[in-house]
Amino acid sequence: MSSFDVQRPIVELPDQNPDPAFSDDELVWTDAEKEQIEAWKDQYAEDQGAIMKVLWLAQEKFGYLPPEVIKFCGETLDMTFSQAYGVATFYHQYYKEEKGEFVLDVCTCFTCQVCGGYDILHYLEEKLGIHAGETTDDGMFTLQEAECLGACGSAPMMEVSNGPYVHQLTKEKVDALIDSLKDGKMPAFTSVTLPQDEDEMGGNRRTDAEQTTTYETQPRGEHME
Amino acid sequence: METNGTPQTKAGDWRSYNRVLLPPVEDLHKLEVYEEEENGYGRLRTVLEDDALDSDEIINIVKQSGLRGRGGAAFSTGMKWSFMPDKDERPRYLACNADESEPGTFKDRQIMEYNPHLMFEGILIAGYALQIDTCYVYVRGEYTDWISHMATELQKAYEKGYVGENIMGSDFSMEIVLHKGAGAYICGEETSLMESVEGKRGYPRYKPPFPAQKGIFGCPTTINNVETLACVPLIMEEGADWFANTGAEDHPGPVLYGISGHVNRPGVYEYPTGMLITDLIEEVAGGVRGGKDLKAFVPGGASTPPIPADRIGGVTMNSNSLNEAGTMFGTGGMLILDEDTDMVSWLRRVTHFFQDESCGQCTPCREGTGWLENLVTRIDQGEGNMRDLDLLLDLCDQMEGRTICAFADAASWPVRYTVQRFREDFEAKCKPSVHPVSAEVSGGADSAVAATE
Ligand SMILES: Cc1cc2nc3c(=O)[nH]c(=O)nc-3n(C[C@H](O)[C@H](O)[C@H](O)COP(=O)(O)O)c2cc1C
Ligand code: SF4
Ligand code: FES
Repeated sequence: MSSFDVQRPIVELPDQNPDPAFSDDELVWTDAEKEQIEAWKDQYAEDQGAIMKVLWLAQEKFGYLPPEVIKFCGETLDMTFSQAYGVATFYHQYYKEEKGEFVLDVCTCFTCQVCGGYDILHYLEEKLGIHAGETTDDGMFTLQEAECLGACGSAPMMEVSNGPYVHQLTKEKVDALIDSLKDGKMPAFTSVTLPQDEDEMGGNRRTDAEQTTTYETQPRGEHME
Repeated sequence: METNGTPQTKAGDWRSYNRVLLPPVEDLHKLEVYEEEENGYGRLRTVLEDDALDSDEIINIVKQSGLRGRGGAAFSTGMKWSFMPDKDERPRYLACNADESEPGTFKDRQIMEYNPHLMFEGILIAGYALQIDTCYVYVRGEYTDWISHMATELQKAYEKGYVGENIMGSDFSMEIVLHKGAGAYICGEETSLMESVEGKRGYPRYKPPFPAQKGIFGCPTTINNVETLACVPLIMEEGADWFANTGAEDHPGPVLYGISGHVNRPGVYEYPTGMLITDLIEEVAGGVRGGKDLKAFVPGGASTPPIPADRIGGVTMNSNSLNEAGTMFGTGGMLILDEDTDMVSWLRRVTHFFQDESCGQCTPCREGTGWLENLVTRIDQGEGNMRDLDLLLDLCDQMEGRTICAFADAASWPVRYTVQRFREDFEAKCKPSVHPVSAEVSGGADSAVAATE
């Protein structure tokens, strides 16, 4: 059910793109990275097994994965461009185009839907002046609608830039989060304590968690329009 | 279901149940604490040192315990293990399925965070029994924080000689590799997971050949869920009988119930299988929020058919009872929906999920999931016709059992059963039929049931 334009190439081939985002000089691994990649190759019977890890590494290094970066990752593991491109495009979390400095993945799936996930999404859309899937003009925030992120007990929730989870969202919590992100501060890891732990051991079982919260249900939110 | 008197729980005296998967021990995730408080890696040591506990014997014990997979299909673990062929020159793999992407499921993450070594120990015991060379722990890419958490603990286990070459001085060697996914629900499906580990697009494979014959890199492979593997050391310690006698007979053991949605106290709870759904909702999870009535209950993730409130009486959380009630155990990620829920808009989002996540290999699935979403959306927007309901059911018929993997079935079940069981909700949103329909043709809620069930 996809729509594509016959006139437009589906993939801008890296060697045919007159204006790549990264030059050949930039497309190099440091010695430390090379060593890391060698260690990853050893974990798999065939080098190709390491491609997902290499793509993750490249995404951290370059911010996103334009075709020339994907090609570079593939070559590192003796894969063709089409093989590497096929992998990079299969998985949602690899960014094929440039995103904002912070990517907000708001879960609106299943439990989050019926616990106000769309309220949070719409609130953010208004607050940031963009629709889901877009990036703010200042390049600060990209807002995305996510599928279940595996934290349904603390719905509605979101993930920030493929990293920390922020649980039990309310408008106030969203305001505070956006303010702190504008100051360049990522949210801390939060451990969500088990209800049985609260009863049996007074709450959090981890002494090393930066922050904790408990599972609870948010006031009712409305469904998608 | 309430045929003879008061409903019976199969979970025994669950109110005084002592947790074993997530026992109340502070900092249990740390190796030192796990060793000290929980006989950590002691079960592995016993297995390695006791000559009587050879491969066949361990598989036998697991078979006798009645352990069934906690990843969704509830297949007998011992049976699955016995499918592994005799050792030949090829390497052998185990995959620990920590993809946990089924909407509504958030229980494996608790093991990864609070008791990761129990999972590792289970992996190693399974690895010893199945003569595994490498285990890939396939963790969904979104669990970044938990992956680094596990990497730290795994490193400690390596340093202690519990993983790697000649484990505990024995001649058994095994590697554990964390493999980070990158956001694809389908990679939880076992053959898709194998492709992903090989560094390919996560396209599910045809079966046969089954993973035990030709799995990762064409070698014998077994795939088990995190919670399934975490049960293994417990079975070794407490015995197959203990496990078999915990919870429901047909589907025994301790289990993690992930309760979410419109309840006062959501969260992950550990109890035996066979709990009454009513006990779980009313007592464990503190009842439906705001004193409302229950409308629908989904037992184990988005793929399991929802059941209406008036059908949960006496139903317990084990395969037999749930199958009788017209649904499945799934992952045990339960969703509770209160009386105000609009089942049409709920289903619309579920169909969107499956449309979004179909890998696109099979036409009935790729196109079918899109049409399911289109049709349900049309009804949700008040543009649907009564005949669209039967079109939806027809579409489900065209998808089920006609594809490479079970995803298409998983996508059609919620549609089929939500439309059948909550038909009034759908009819209320459709444009009224211009033709008079006799009560015999459209018998309200159950009309489609008679035609298809
Ligand atoms: C579409 C689809 C998605 C699945 N996702 C998961 C998952 O996220 N986690 C999981 O453990 N099993 C998942 N499974 C089930 C696996 O294919 C497999 O049966 C399971 O991991 C086997 O482990 P078990 O026998 O211990 O349950 C999925 C199956 C299908 C068809
Ligand atoms: S059924 Fe769907 S998800 Fe499974 S292989 Fe076919 S297209 Fe892919
Ligand atoms: S539904 Fe939002 S985290 Fe699962």
